[in-house]
Amino acid sequence: MLGQNLEKLGEYLGATPAARAPERGMVVTRVFDAPRQVVFEAWTRPEHLARWWGPKAFTLPSCDVDFRTGGAYRMVMRGPDGTEYPFHGVYREIVPPSRIEFSAVIESGPGAAVLTVVTFDDEGGKTRVTVRQTIPALEEAARGQRQGWTESLEKLAEHVAAR
Amino acid sequence: MTSLDATFSALADPTRRAILARLASGEASVNELARPFDVSLPAISKHLKVLERAGLIVRGRDAQRRPCRLVASQLKAVSDWAEQYRRFWEESFDRLDEYLRELQATEAKSRAPKERAHGSRKR
Repeated sequence: MLGQNLEKLGEYLGATPAARAPERGMVVTRVFDAPRQVVFEAWTRPEHLARWWGPKAFTLPSCDVDFRTGGAYRMVMRGPDGTEYPFHGVYREIVPPSRIEFSAVIESGPGAAVLTVVTFDDEGGKTRVTVRQTIPALEEAARGQRQGWTESLEKLAEHVAAR
Repeated sequence: MTSLDATFSALADPTRRAILARLASGEASVNELARPFDVSLPAISKHLKVLERAGLIVRGRDAQRRPCRLVASQLKAVSDWAEQYRRFWEESFDRLDEYLRELQATEAKSRAPKERAHGSRKR
């Protein structure tokens, strides 16, 4: 059971072997009974976002959005007990009505940027929305650690050979 | 780097995840942990140092064996954090689903009266 959880966690952290890369990271998907244009639109403006963004009983008291590729955003979620959760980021790529890719830094969280890719696919007049999240800094750290270790081994080999 | 960052970093390696999975069945020495992997003892020791620094394992004082033990609470903290994101999206999607229904119902209603007026004009 722990093994399975660890495997899922590894995938979430983007540390899955290359062969399974398409499903890397956390993936959540849902089909909505609405045309793609309508569903996509709901992600683009504060007046829409405030109606659904966040868990049950959460509100969005602040929402500034510059919805274009390269545009920045900042939002504040408020929980039922009044605690506020500000977060901000950049829209790295927007392809209406099929794809939104954005970074997010949760200001009260660990500080590592989370990368989210949202895709919108037509399914017979309905829309499948798929959200994939990864943490790029951790993938880099994992790669860097492997590189660092390989360099250390090479240096050690040279050192031993030179004696 | 916050402690959660260090934990993520520690978990990003498949060998370290496998070590943690093994320790879930009980404590083990460095030799016992190295056995299933085609990796040298110094390499395993390096992994164990990373896990220890991240607070995921503790190592016993017994100089001979230095048994390693899992710190379940730290792993749970990370697992909870990841689970929070999944729950965030599932609940947001629930709300989005309801909002989209409202949007479309409102739009349908705003069309209907015009049709009724049009119909009565015909009579």
